[in-house]
Amino acid sequence: MSSIVRARGLTKRYPGVTALDAVDLDLPAGRVGLVGANGAGKTTLFRLLLGLSQPDAGTVEVCGISVADDPIGVRSRIGYMPEHDCLPLDQTAADVVSTFGELGGLPVRAARQRASEVLDLVGLDEARFRPVGGFSTGMRQRTKLAQAIVADPALVLLDEPTAGLDPSGRDEMLTLVDRLGSFGIAVVLATHLLDDVAKVCDHVVMLDGGRLVTDSPTETLLHQTGTVTVDVGPAGAGALAAALTARGLAVTSDDIVTLEVTVSGETDLDTIRDVIAELELPLHRLTNRLTSLDDVFVHRGPGLPEEA
Amino acid sequence: MNMPASTGAVYDRGYRPYDGPRGGRRAATAALYRTSLRRAIGLRRPWRQKVAPTVLLAIAAMPAVINVGVGYLTRDTPAEGFEFITYREYVGVSSALLLFVALVAPDIVCPDRRQRVLPLIFSRPLTGRDYALAKIGAIFTCVFAFAFLPQVVLYVGQMLVSDGALDYLSDNTAVLWQVPVAAAILALFYAVLGVAVASLSGRRMVAGATMLGVTLISSSVSAILTQSGRGPDADVPGHPAALINLLALPLRIRDLVFLGRMADDSPLSGLNGGGAMAVACYAVVVIVCIVVVLSRYRSVES
Repeated sequence: MSSIVRARGLTKRYPGVTALDAVDLDLPAGRVGLVGANGAGKTTLFRLLLGLSQPDAGTVEVCGISVADDPIGVRSRIGYMPEHDCLPLDQTAADVVSTFGELGGLPVRAARQRASEVLDLVGLDEARFRPVGGFSTGMRQRTKLAQAIVADPALVLLDEPTAGLDPSGRDEMLTLVDRLGSFGIAVVLATHLLDDVAKVCDHVVMLDGGRLVTDSPTETLLHQTGTVTVDVGPAGAGALAAALTARGLAVTSDDIVTLEVTVSGETDLDTIRDVIAELELPLHRLTNRLTSLDDVFVHRGPGLPEEA
Repeated sequence: MNMPASTGAVYDRGYRPYDGPRGGRRAATAALYRTSLRRAIGLRRPWRQKVAPTVLLAIAAMPAVINVGVGYLTRDTPAEGFEFITYREYVGVSSALLLFVALVAPDIVCPDRRQRVLPLIFSRPLTGRDYALAKIGAIFTCVFAFAFLPQVVLYVGQMLVSDGALDYLSDNTAVLWQVPVAAAILALFYAVLGVAVASLSGRRMVAGATMLGVTLISSSVSAILTQSGRGPDADVPGHPAALINLLALPLRIRDLVFLGRMADDSPLSGLNGGGAMAVACYAVVVIVCIVVVLSRYRSVES
């Protein structure tokens, strides 16, 4: 899959803090989750992608165009949905979205036509002639999404699109984000809500304190926990745990039935199989433990590779 | 065979990619200019926002209408040819459009900063320079139109009520360039000043009050300094302190356009190089305002 964003040694420093520290990225054209705590460098990365800020070192390309050489060309291909409130409150949703369509380069008539279509798409067809100032948080987020996609960008940057939404609003927003991928629009979704990423993103980039933690397909990341779950029934769990520990494997147990065994390769898996056979225990289940992205982010240790 | 009656259908129109023409930076700038212009004159806005530009245009056009009306009523009478207002003086009347600029410039500039729309605007293919150009251009267009259109009414009206329309035209060809040039000079000055002041604040009220305050205070200080410098003897040549009067500075240039010199009633009249100094001061103010605007939008905070 071709990279829609490619960064090499991307570094951005502000007085007293390094917002991004020599980050290398190859983001595929799909739905990419950009995950990190507040201050991790997500918004800084967006600003660098948009050419609104200059890196102190390194290069970045969007859609094959160098941001440093042609920031205007890059912005012609990007839609942006900021995290904060950013809409003119006294204008109608239709006016706001069509204006940003025109600012994105669309002719006037096409901008109004597409504004109507995308507002319909995000579920604001009934409210499009109402001033944005009277909208709920969810409706404002939808308007922000509509203005981001009205000019049919190749890439859309979404900064915390589910912020401030109730559970149903959040689900609806994630459904919309999920649909963008099927429309052929590449998405980079910045969030600190790992569940959002796990639901809709094919690829995950994790930042922590400006450093790249992970740049991997979501599926691969979820499988790379280095832990297997073993279920031999309640009768044999204790004996198996003792035997595996004696063979040098780390074993934990959340209950009396299943064991969580840390493995580092095929050899350890063979050991587990052999021990179960020696003890003549019934093997009900032996699976890779699928963890949440939260676990990956919080517990990610040096044993996990930087990139899959 | 009976066909079932159609009861309609529901379509999911989904998303349609756009493959039509697409403009770049120039198109984005033009779009921002159009949006700002619409906002300035109240289009696509509640009726309350249309009141100020409509009333101001009506007030600005009133001298022209009165002049033409008087001309019509006094034709073929001894009072024929009476001029209520000259074209040069009319540009002076248009300086009242400062009030309009103090109202409109903050309205099209301040909300972008206060409501944090700027990061969204600058995520589009345009730069801070384009933004400044669009905003100044919108104000310039409004002020120019409001200063120029009444003069068109005056000119056409005078031509029609005169004894010979062609004679009037041939006798007044100079104003055909003097009026638009003087109106443009006035409009440029107010536009850059208005946008520069508005760019410094996110609050419309503060920006509007500052705009009026700066011009009125400069006018008052100038009057005091000029008067104290000249003393009671009115024959003494003008005083350079008149140059700091921001309200009247564009009118000094207007005098140069219409008369080729400072007007006799100007506080710069009789001052050596007064015209050149006025041009220099005008240029300095315009350049400083443009620099302020560009520096305010060079880096955009998000």
